[in-house]
Amino acid sequence: MRLEKCWFCSSTIYPGHGMMYVRNDAKIFRFCRSKCHKNFKMKRNPRKVKWTKIYRKLHGKELPQDTTFELERKRNRPERYDRNVVEDTVKAMKKISETRVEREAQTLANRMRGKKTQQRREDLAELQQGIHLVKAPTALLEEPSLTLPKEKMKVKVSVEQESKAMES
Amino acid sequence: TIRPQTYSNVADNSGARESMRIRVPGASNRQYASIGDMIVAVVREAVPNMPPKGSEVVRAVIARTRKGLNRDNGMAIRFDDNAAVAIDREGNPKGTRVFGPVARESRECHFAKTVSSAPEVLRGIRRNRMMLR
Repeated sequence: MRLEKCWFCSSTIYPGHGMMYVRNDAKIFRFCRSKCHKNFKMKRNPRKVKWTKIYRKLHGKELPQDTTFELERKRNRPERYDRNVVEDTVKAMKKISETRVEREAQTLANRMRGKKTQQRREDLAELQQGIHLVKAPTALLEEPSLTLPKEKMKVKVSVEQESKAMES
Repeated sequence: TIRPQTYSNVADNSGARESMRIRVPGASNRQYASIGDMIVAVVREAVPNMPPKGSEVVRAVIARTRKGLNRDNGMAIRFDDNAAVAIDREGNPKGTRVFGPVARESRECHFAKTVSSAPEVLRGIRRNRMMLR
């Protein structure tokens, strides 16, 4: 028994799932579900379809290359059963998947860095522009307690001008 | 599933190109034939100057179907076309080469034995035969 990868979306195909299509040139395409198979029949290129792993790796959304992936390489020669080897392999598999998960989380964090501040800035702009949808503009003036959140702005002040102002 | 009147490609070099299924021998009104079944077919298109002529009746084993098979391990297999390999009454293939991939299930009628001992193995784009496990 072997866990295959879906040709289209690269997810694992567990036994009992999916379909295998054999082309007349003897090339085999495995699909994890009919969604992938139907996309294949539509002649879509998985590199251009946004939800596939290939697209995400190609466009830097996910960890593209890593040593942890190389350890999962397909091996065609069957190994003679050795209990110790099996034990070590199982331990290693755990460790490898842990590191991979860590690294993927790291890439996600890197990709999303600065997103919070950007989002906050965008929200503030939206508030300032669209506050009339929520409250009448005159209401803001009448009630001093209603204010829009202030944005912390970094202002550059040249030291020379400041000293001149202080002198005069 | 190959029904009566279904055209299928002939996947060997026996000289026929396309055959049309007539019957499944051995059953009075059997409708469907699948991979591994022997069928009686009439040659519809043949390579010129070779033994099977158009409208000659031959027996064949179905090697590939678009409908495919469902394996015991849950994997479903589908092929690109419907194809059969011409055989004689004993089950020996009429041609010497088989073209394209072939499912392991098409082992009826001594098919496997004679095909695996086929003298020519063609590699490259048009593969000789691949037994899919």
